[in-house]
Amino acid sequence: MADVLSVGVNLEAFAQAISAIQALRSSVSRVFDCLKDGMRNKETLEGREKAFIAHFQDNLHSVNRDLNELERLSNLVGKPSENHPLHNSGLLSLDPVQDKTPLYSQLLQAYKWSNKLQYHAGLASGLLNQQSLKRSANQMGVSAKRRPKAQPTTLVLPPQYVDDVISRIDRMFPEMSIHLSRPNGTSAMLLVTLGKVLKVIVVMRSLFIDRTIVKGYNENVYTEDGKLDIWSKSNYQVFQKVTDHATTALLHYQLPQMPDVVVRSFMTWLRSYIKLFQAPCQRCGKFLQDGLPPTWRDFRTLEAFHDTCRQ
Amino acid sequence: MEMFRSNTVWYIICQPPTACGYSTGQLRFRGVSQMPVAEGKSVQQTVELLTRKLEVLGAEKQGTFCVDCETYHTAASTLGSQGQAGKLMYVMHNSEYPLSCFALFENGPCLTADTNFDVLMVKLKGFFQSAKASKIETRGTRYQYCDFLVKVGTVTMGPSARGISVEVEYGPCVVASDCWSLLLEFLQSFLGSHTPGAPAVFGNRHDTVYGPADTMVQYMELFNKIRKQPQVPVAGIR
Ligand SMILES: [Zn+2]
Repeated sequence: MADVLSVGVNLEAFAQAISAIQALRSSVSRVFDCLKDGMRNKETLEGREKAFIAHFQDNLHSVNRDLNELERLSNLVGKPSENHPLHNSGLLSLDPVQDKTPLYSQLLQAYKWSNKLQYHAGLASGLLNQQSLKRSANQMGVSAKRRPKAQPTTLVLPPQYVDDVISRIDRMFPEMSIHLSRPNGTSAMLLVTLGKVLKVIVVMRSLFIDRTIVKGYNENVYTEDGKLDIWSKSNYQVFQKVTDHATTALLHYQLPQMPDVVVRSFMTWLRSYIKLFQAPCQRCGKFLQDGLPPTWRDFRTLEAFHDTCRQ
Repeated sequence: MEMFRSNTVWYIICQPPTACGYSTGQLRFRGVSQMPVAEGKSVQQTVELLTRKLEVLGAEKQGTFCVDCETYHTAASTLGSQGQAGKLMYVMHNSEYPLSCFALFENGPCLTADTNFDVLMVKLKGFFQSAKASKIETRGTRYQYCDFLVKVGTVTMGPSARGISVEVEYGPCVVASDCWSLLLEFLQSFLGSHTPGAPAVFGNRHDTVYGPADTMVQYMELFNKIRKQPQVPVAGIR
């Protein structure tokens, strides 16, 4: 009710203010008319000047008067839309023909909807940041030109830092030996030897793991020219399967803000393969299924399962 | 008569070309009710039965194999001066390693040499003499099942079939003791429940990487057992 009342008062002030503006405009145009007409219709030059100045002064006075009146009225009008959440668009509610143009209610709907959307998008973005599948920030939605700028800081870590992280992990697991080399510039390649069970070639980009290949302990991991062979797969089905699972693990262990934790988690998981041939499946209790030992290791419990026995 | 002997199946378990523990042992089908090998089946029939079981399991044929062994003893002329019994030396070949020749002593070292070694043995006639009719060999088919390689062979000495050898190789694992349970489960899948207990070697040689010589030692021991086996098995010899 109070709103309606105040709107009423304001409307009256509006009407007065509008007529004040009209008065101001006509007085201003009289000033310019007077200037345009100049000094004429008088016999003597002196008379002409006097009459012109008097006339001009009168006109300026009336402009001044009308301006003062408008200022006074504008204070009365105030700022009607100031505390309306939709600001000036709130004035649409004043439209008397609601039925024909339901703009205001539609606007409110849209406003509520966009508010909710923003809220949910915020929640989703928070969750997605914790569980990011995006392995580096520059792969989506950024134009090619801007890419270098968008590179996350984790991609430009100094090699010394990567060396430190790797050597710390190497010391953590006595049955695992990690040999780091940089045959192609700054990107590191690891040759991980796990007991006398398997060897893993790990291709890094800074502290991100790009690719892993698992091979048997007695299989060749070098090409003819003595470089690590990062392309050919193991001759044994069991290690091809473990390679697949290791690739899955790379996607599982993701924490873009803490890449060193990711590498450590991955290596901890990898270490559970030390019992590849000795651990029976935790579900069916057997060693072999279709000629393969339990090749899957649970990401949290590290328990051994056959590929088809995991939940 | 011959047929009784054939009921004895010898097996050799080993891992990959460069790995495995070994076991030589003997598995008698005779009197084992689960095994549908009736007493008196021939070597040929038993081999066929085993290979059929492997094929049912899903194993695929992958060519043939052959392992042979010849016995040499120290020549009499050198014996006298030494004043001790001559040691036996076995010279063996394995089709898996076509460029190699193996020379072994019982409980002794195993020498892995080029195939030229055979020529050398001829030149050493004065020191080592080939025992008469000592050549023993096993021939058969290789089967591949997943990462397992199974070789079922017929052991022959001269003209007669003396037994069956079954060799199982699991390539991915290089330490014998690591995968005994796994191998046992695999053996049971085609030999039935009457598979052997863990051979001593699977426990003894802890953490040692298996090599081709280990396979040859097993074949040597297997051949020796078959040689010592009486031509006509006595009833109740199990
Ligand atoms: Zn299972």
